[in-house]
Amino acid sequence: MSKTSQPELRRSVTPWGSFSWGYSDVGADIFVGLGLVLGAAAGASNVAFLFAGIVYVCIGLAYTELAATYPVAGGGQYFVLRGLGDIFGFIAGWAVLLDFTIDIALFAWSCVDYLSELLPVLNNAPHPWAHFIVVLGLMIGLCTLNFIGVRESTAFNGFVSGLDIISETAILTLGFLFAFSPHLLVHTMQTSWPTPFEFMKGISLAIVSFVGLESISQAAEETQRPASIIPRTSTALILTILIFALSYANLALGMHTWHPIPLDAHGHPQMLWQWLGNTDNNGKAVALIAKQVPYWGAIAAFYVPVLGAILLLISSNSGVFGSSRIAYAMSKGGLLPSIFERVHPRFRTPTVSLLVFTSVSILELIFAALPSLDPNMAALYARLFNGESGIDFLGDLYAFGAATSYSFVFIALIALRLTDPLSPRKFKIPLNIPVNFRGERAEFPVIAVLGFIGIVAILVFTMITHPIGRIAGPSWIVLGLILYFIYRKRKGLPLLHSHKRDWRNEQLEILRRAGELELMDEYAANLKASDERRAKAAV
Amino acid sequence: MIYHNDAVTITVAGVVIAAVIMVAIVATLWWMLHPPASFVQKLAREAETELERMVGSVVVVFSQEIESNHMMALAAKLASGEKSELLAIYVIEVPYTLPPDAAMPVEERAALDALGAAETIATNTDVSVRTDIIKARSTKQAVLDLAKREKANLIVLGSFREGKYSGAPLGRTIEEIAADAKCDVLIGVEGKHGTLLYEEPGSPASP
Repeated sequence: MSKTSQPELRRSVTPWGSFSWGYSDVGADIFVGLGLVLGAAAGASNVAFLFAGIVYVCIGLAYTELAATYPVAGGGQYFVLRGLGDIFGFIAGWAVLLDFTIDIALFAWSCVDYLSELLPVLNNAPHPWAHFIVVLGLMIGLCTLNFIGVRESTAFNGFVSGLDIISETAILTLGFLFAFSPHLLVHTMQTSWPTPFEFMKGISLAIVSFVGLESISQAAEETQRPASIIPRTSTALILTILIFALSYANLALGMHTWHPIPLDAHGHPQMLWQWLGNTDNNGKAVALIAKQVPYWGAIAAFYVPVLGAILLLISSNSGVFGSSRIAYAMSKGGLLPSIFERVHPRFRTPTVSLLVFTSVSILELIFAALPSLDPNMAALYARLFNGESGIDFLGDLYAFGAATSYSFVFIALIALRLTDPLSPRKFKIPLNIPVNFRGERAEFPVIAVLGFIGIVAILVFTMITHPIGRIAGPSWIVLGLILYFIYRKRKGLPLLHSHKRDWRNEQLEILRRAGELELMDEYAANLKASDERRAKAAV
Repeated sequence: MIYHNDAVTITVAGVVIAAVIMVAIVATLWWMLHPPASFVQKLAREAETELERMVGSVVVVFSQEIESNHMMALAAKLASGEKSELLAIYVIEVPYTLPPDAAMPVEERAALDALGAAETIATNTDVSVRTDIIKARSTKQAVLDLAKREKANLIVLGSFREGKYSGAPLGRTIEEIAADAKCDVLIGVEGKHGTLLYEEPGSPASP
């Protein structure tokens, strides 16, 4: 009797599906990031976005190469595990987990901010409890949907992403066409240039607008011809997001507004970027800027808040789904206790992972919302954390988690280039130096080094400028490491070393499952040639 | 500055940046959605092109020996997908003992039934079909002559009728047409015990 093989993930994700999978995650970031960066970096917001954007391009290229070479679900955590071993794989995965839990709270928070444009009762400043309860309700609702196995479909993601790209292109094109003044841009940059501290803070928050490229890698196993498609979808995603982020920043600094800007809290006139970056508005800056586009703003005022809210909700959901999925993958890989592998017998969903990490995100939400809910806490936060709270706090931690995991991904890329030169790379980051490493010809990626320096700089900026981030971020990593060591000790697994894996056969299997048969043949031929060379050298 | 009033400000820089944003986004997405084909995709595309060519004009053959109803259903589905011309013919072999245009009421009645069923299949599949009854001394020659005249790309044949086995596994007429035809020939033989996907209860292969 023949034995049926294990069911595998179906390769049903098309190029547009792969792109929209990433876009529904990264595309929402600018809805949150724009206001935060304008509030911090003022007249240098465009430069802050440019700096973070250059680092993001390097990150994007690194992810593109790795996801095309190792098309497996797992993303950054898998690449680091494979390149640097178990403990670093754990730290990278744990940092991504932090990002996913923040993602849930931050995007649900911002989703309600956008809705408050149409429903003022949800505005955080006058109605903090209503805002908090709706955010909490959304998070619990998303957790419940994921618990019973309901997810938004790829088709829905694709539809919303397409609609958003058209909408953002229209806002930016018409904004530059009818309301942009280069003289005003230069004037704003000259008169509102931030202090170095504010600039560093702006850069560290600008990276928030570029987080989520991971999603394309996470879906690599389900993507058709991943080695060919992922480089295209990733590159397109990088370019699209970069164009949007830089355009919004420049437009916000150099735009003649259609409607007058309200006076600030002290009754003084304020510029557009000041209005967008204040604490009342920084969670919904894109909707407000869209409103200021001549003619189009009248229509945009109604649909952009709704579109933004939907995109942010999808992004929040990807946090719920992503955190449970990565915890499940880490547990299967022996990095987290097996309880995170536990699947609900009826719904077939990783319920323990879902409940634990949604609970963590609820704790983060409570910590972020406390000062607006209780004036005594506001005073305490002012004393301890420089008055930071709410969306700033979530943004801080989001930047910390992203910068940490991205740093490891760059090192993993360099390590894998040296230790695994035989794996065929259909996409390779340009600018490489040929080297010989352990008897094999390899290529050292210069851009990975530059990207690593850039992301470490952002990590340092985050630690310097965010009082909560520099405490909560490292504490999260230390807590994770304690759990990791306890678990590994109990299981009798090596604490600092990795347990042995057969990467060669695993890579052949990965390429076979991905349907990249030509690459599989090439890899097998590379292995054979390498073995023959080594045998000859030994003789 | 090109134009400025209280409502709008149009500048050269603004126009250029707006155009660059629009072109860059459209070009990026277009490039992303048009990846080069892989070897496997090229093979699939060649096969699809071949199929399009193959089913440009399809002749489905019925006769006393050839039972083609199930193949007519398949040909109609092919034709509906590929928008090809469909022609169903019933060939009545006239023995040499009779004149070529001799009346053969029993065979003609069977032909009307077969072609009526063919038309119904075509209607149900939403394709148009031409039908014709041909009297000839040899089914093979009639089919090959018609295929040549109609510039057929594909001849579709069913299996031999039960009790008409004449020494060739598929039926002599079917094998001769397949051997001598200048175009592609599709032959469908019905399994004795259901299909590969479904086995009739009680058949030797069923559990």
